[in-house]
Amino acid sequence: MSDTDEFGRVSRRVGQLFRGVLLASTLAGILTLAVLLVYVANDAFRPLTADPGWHLTFLLTFVLPTLGVGWWSYQRSYGTLTTGLLGIMLPTIAALYAGGLAALFIDVIPTLVWLSFVVAFAIPVGVVVALDRTERDIPFLAEITAVLAVTAGSLLFVPDLVQGLPTVPADWMVLVLTIGIPEALLLGRWTRGRWGRRAGLTTGAGIVVGSAVAGVLGTVTGVGAIPGVALALFAGVPTALYLSVVAIERPERRAGLLLPAVIVGGALVGELFVGALGFAGPESWVDWGFLTSTVQRGADPGAVGIYSGIVGTILLMFTVAAIAIPAGVGAAVYLEEYAPDTTVTRIIDVNISNLAGVPSVVYGLLGLGLFVRYGGAQTGTLLVGGATLALLVFPIVIISAREAIRAVPDSARQASYGMGATRWQTVKNVVLPRAFPGILTGTILALSRAIGETAPLLVIGAAQVFGVPDSWNSTVGAMPLQLYVWASTYASPAFYTTVLAAGIVVLLTAMLSMNSIAIYVRNHYEQR
Amino acid sequence: MSGDSSTEALTRRTQNSSRELLAKGFFFGCAALSVATTLSIIGLLTFEAAKFFSITAPLVGIDGPTATLTEFFTGSEWGLQGPNLGVMPLVAVTLMVTIGSGLIAIPLGVATALYLSEYASERARSYLKPALEVLAGVPSIIYGIFAVAYITPALDALFGVDGLFNVASACIVVGIMILPMVASVSEDAMQAVPDDLRQAGYGMGATKYDVSTGVVVPAAASGIFSSFILALSRAIGETMAVTLAGGSLAREFDPTSLSSYLSLFDPESYLEPGMTMTAAMIQLLTGDVTGGGLAYRSLFAVGLVLFVITLGMNVLSDLIARRYQEDYQ
Amino acid sequence: MSNGNQASDMSEGSSGDEYAVSVPEGRGRDRDADGEASTIIESRDLSVWYNDEQALQSVSMEIPEKRVTAMVGPSGCGKSTYLRSINRMNDLIDAARVEGEMLFNGKNVYDDDVDPVALRRRIGMVFQQPNPFPKSIYDNVAYGLRLQDRTENLDEKVEEALRKAALWDEVKDQLDQSGLDLSGGQQQRLCIARAIAVDPEVVLMDEPASALDPVATSKIEDLIDEMAEEFTVIIVTHNMQQAARISDKTAVFLTGGELVEFDDTDKVFENPENDRVEDYITGKFG
Repeated sequence: MSDTDEFGRVSRRVGQLFRGVLLASTLAGILTLAVLLVYVANDAFRPLTADPGWHLTFLLTFVLPTLGVGWWSYQRSYGTLTTGLLGIMLPTIAALYAGGLAALFIDVIPTLVWLSFVVAFAIPVGVVVALDRTERDIPFLAEITAVLAVTAGSLLFVPDLVQGLPTVPADWMVLVLTIGIPEALLLGRWTRGRWGRRAGLTTGAGIVVGSAVAGVLGTVTGVGAIPGVALALFAGVPTALYLSVVAIERPERRAGLLLPAVIVGGALVGELFVGALGFAGPESWVDWGFLTSTVQRGADPGAVGIYSGIVGTILLMFTVAAIAIPAGVGAAVYLEEYAPDTTVTRIIDVNISNLAGVPSVVYGLLGLGLFVRYGGAQTGTLLVGGATLALLVFPIVIISAREAIRAVPDSARQASYGMGATRWQTVKNVVLPRAFPGILTGTILALSRAIGETAPLLVIGAAQVFGVPDSWNSTVGAMPLQLYVWASTYASPAFYTTVLAAGIVVLLTAMLSMNSIAIYVRNHYEQR
Repeated sequence: MSGDSSTEALTRRTQNSSRELLAKGFFFGCAALSVATTLSIIGLLTFEAAKFFSITAPLVGIDGPTATLTEFFTGSEWGLQGPNLGVMPLVAVTLMVTIGSGLIAIPLGVATALYLSEYASERARSYLKPALEVLAGVPSIIYGIFAVAYITPALDALFGVDGLFNVASACIVVGIMILPMVASVSEDAMQAVPDDLRQAGYGMGATKYDVSTGVVVPAAASGIFSSFILALSRAIGETMAVTLAGGSLAREFDPTSLSSYLSLFDPESYLEPGMTMTAAMIQLLTGDVTGGGLAYRSLFAVGLVLFVITLGMNVLSDLIARRYQEDYQ
Repeated sequence: MSNGNQASDMSEGSSGDEYAVSVPEGRGRDRDADGEASTIIESRDLSVWYNDEQALQSVSMEIPEKRVTAMVGPSGCGKSTYLRSINRMNDLIDAARVEGEMLFNGKNVYDDDVDPVALRRRIGMVFQQPNPFPKSIYDNVAYGLRLQDRTENLDEKVEEALRKAALWDEVKDQLDQSGLDLSGGQQQRLCIARAIAVDPEVVLMDEPASALDPVATSKIEDLIDEMAEEFTVIIVTHNMQQAARISDKTAVFLTGGELVEFDDTDKVFENPENDRVEDYITGKFG
C-alpha cells in the first residue's frame, strides 16, 4: 500500500513496536507492585472465607450503588465526584488519626499530666501575648529573658501543682478544655471571617457542646470517654465543617455528597441484612483483635497484635516532627534567605544533597554512636529512636522546604523589603506563610518516610519486645519493627501470609493516608 | 525636615537588631547542623573503625582483640567468632544484589523515562508519575516480606529454589525499589534536552523513534548515566529488603581467586541465600553490641566501607550530572 | 494627545489661569513647577554596576521635594536601577555595586552608618506588578505600621491611607477580604495605600500603571497628582504621554545608563536640548 503514495512512506512499524515496549516497561514495575498488593490484601482480608450470600448482599447494597452513584457524579462533573470522594475520605482518615490520638491518651499520657503541661505552656504564651499588647518600650533582650524565665519556672513548678490538685477533672473534661476550646476559638474565628458573626458563635459553641456530649455519650455507651471526645473533635468537627462549606459555598457540587451517603448507608444496610440472614463474613486477619492486642510473641499468629507498634509509630512521628521540622525549615530559610553566595554556602549545599543519599543503616550507626555510646542514653528508647530518625529525614525536610521557599515569588519579598521590613520580618510575615503549604507537603512526605524505616531502629538497639512506652526513656517499637520481628523470628509461611500480610495492610494504610493528605494539600494550594 | 534629625533617624540601626541577630543565628545553626551531621558520621565511623584494625587500634588507645587489614580485606569468610572477619564475602553478595537489581531497574527505568518524556500524554504522565512515586515510597521492610512470601514461591515454581531465602528475590524487589530513581533522574535529563535538537531531527525527516533513540538519549547520556550510579548506590545501601530476602547466612568468597569473581555472574548462585554488608550489620546487632567489643567495632568497620562506597558514588553521580547541566545552560 | 479640557477640569486655585496657557496638553498640574521647592534627593556621580556591566553612568540629579519627577527612557536604560538605588533595593542583589553619592536630606544613603531598613521606612515603593500580600486588605495596609510598632489608632491610620489612595469607598465593607480578591487597578491602589500608610517622605513608583488597563491607569495618574501635595513622588515610566501628563520634572535616560536630559517637564517635551531626546520623544528611536 505504500507504493501508491508519490513520496513513498517511511515505515513506522519499528516505532510503534518501540513505543509498545516502552509502555510495557513503564507499567511493569507498577503492575508488579499492584499484583503483590492484591496478594497481600487477599491474605490479609481473606475475602474467600466469607459466605457467597455475604458477598451477594454487599454487592447489592454497597458495591453496585457506590459504583452507580460514583459514575453518575463523574458524568455530572469532575468537581462533583471529587467532592464526594473527599466527603468519604476526610471522615475516614480523620477517624483513623482520632483513634491513634485516643490511644495515646489512654495508654501513654494520663489526661491529668497532659492538662498540667498544657497549663504550664499556656502561662508563657500568655506572657508573650501580654507583652505584645503593651506599648512596647521593653528592649528585646530583656523581653526574651523574661519569657525564657517564665517558661522555665512554669515548666518546673506548674505541672506538679496541677497534678497535686485535690479534685481531679474527668478525662473528657480535660480534653474538651485543652483541645476543644482552642479548636472552637480557632475554627469559630475562621467561620466568622467566612460567614459572619453568628456562624462563628454557632461553630464555637457547637464544638464545645458537641465534644462534651460525645464525652458523656462515650462513657455511657462503653466506647469510652476519651475515644468519644477524640472522634468528635478530630473527625466529627472537620467533617461537619466540610459539609457546611460544600452546602453553603458550593451549591453546584452539593449533589456530590450523595456518594458518601450511599457508601455509609450501603454499608449499614448490608451489615443489617447479613446479620439478619446469618451470612458469615470473611475471617480477616485485620480485625479489632489484631489492631488492639498488645501480645507480641507466640507461635499462634491468631493471638498476636500490632497495638504496641501503632502507638510506638505515633510517638516516634511526634518526636521526629518536633526535632526535624524546626531544624530543617530553619536550615532551608538560612540557605534561601540569608546565605551569601560563598564557598561555605556551596559546601553546605553539596553536603545536604549527599546526606540525603547516606544509607539509612548508617544513620542508625550515627544514632548508636552519638546518643547511646557517647551520649549515655539507653538503647532503643523513644528519644534516641526519634532523634535518629529525625537526623535521617533532616536533609529531606531541608530540600523540600527550600523548594517551597524558592517558589515564593520575588515580588512578595520586594514588597516587604520596600516597606522597610527587616530580613526576619520578611521571613516571618511573607516568606514562611506563603511557603507553608509547600513545607507542609514536604514534611508530611518526610514523616511518612520516617515511619516506614526499620533499619535505624534496629541499629540503635530497639528491643524485640517493646510494649507501649510511657516516658522518653522507655523502649519504643514501631509498626515496621514489629513486622521485622515477626518475619525474622517466625520465618514460616504460617506467619508470612497471615499476620505479616495484615501488618503490611495497617502500615501501608497509615503511610498512604499521610501521603494522600500531602497530595491534597499540594493540589489544593497549587490551584490558587 | 532638618538635616540633623533626619540623619539621626537614618543611622539608627533597625530597632530590634538583637532580634535580627537571634533569628539569623538560629537559622544558621540549623544549616550548620547539617554539616555537623556529616562530620559526626565521618568522625564516628572512622574513629570506631580505627579501634577495629590492629594497625590503628594503638593510636586510639585500644588493646583488646583486633583484626588486621589483610584479614578484613582478603579473608574468605565472615563470622562472628575469631578469625573470620573477611568483609569481601559480604561485599560480593552486595555486588550481586547491585548487579541483579541494576539489570532490572536500568532497562525498565530508562524505558520509563523515555516513555514519560517523549511519548506519554500530559494526562498519562499525571497518573504514571505518582504511581512510580508509590513504588519508591513503599517501605523496604514490606518489599522484604513480598520477596519471601510471594516472589520466592514464584521463583521456586519456575526454577526450583530451596528454602525461603535467596539472592534473586532480593534483586527483584530492590530493582523495583530503585526503578523510580532511574526513571525520574533520567527523565529530568531528557526533559533538559533543548527542543531545538528534536526539531532539528524532525526537520531532517526523522521519525519519533529516530529522534528518541538517536537524539534525545545520546544528548541526555550523562544525566542518564548519573541516574544509574545514584540508583545503584541506593541498592548498595538498601538494608531491610535484602536482610529478609537474602537470609543471614554468610557465603564463602575468596577474593584472591578469579573463579570466585566469575561466580558472581553465575545465574545459579543467585538462587542461593547470601548476606550483604547491610544484612551483616543487622545480624551483628542481635548480640549485645553496645559494650564496645570486637563485634561492635566490626559493625562500624563495615559501616565505614558502606559509607565510603555510597558517598563516592553519590559524589560521582553529582559530578556527572553537573556536566550535562553545563552543556545546556 | 490633546485634551486640554482635562487640564482645566483639574487645575484649580489661583495659579490655574496662568497655567492654562503655558501647560502643554493634558498636564493636570497646578503646582509651581519651577518655584522654590527645596531638594530632597540628590545624586552625585552615581554609577551602578551589575557584575561587570555598568547600568548607570555617573548620574547627577537634584530631585525637588513634593513634586512629581518622572524618569523615562527605553528599556534597559537604567531608569529602574536609578530608582532602586534611592532606597537601596539594589542591596538585595549580590552582584550590584554602587559608586558615587545618593543624598537624602543631605545625608549619603550609602554611608556605612546608614541602615537600609530604616531608609526604606522613609522612602516607600510601589512596584510594576501589583503585589499585595496574601492577607486581608486591612492587614496589607497595616503591614508597614506593624513593622514599626506604630499600632496606636491603627484603624484610623488604615482608613486614612485607604482614603488617600482613593480606595476607601470601594473596600470599606470588605476590609477582612484578601487583597488578592481585588481587581488589578484596585490592587495597585492598595499597594499605594500600603506604601503611604507609614507617612514616607518619598514614594518611588516603578512603572506602577504598566500592568493595568486604561481606566485603572487614569485613576492611578489622578492619585499621583494628589499625592504630590504631601509626598515627593518619583515615577519610572516608559509611557511618554504619562510622563507629560503627571510630572513636574522629567529625567530622560538613554541606553547605557546615561542621563541625557533633566529639566522641567514642559521644557523637556517642548524644547529638549539634546537631539537624541527629541528623537526619542517624537518616537524616531527607542
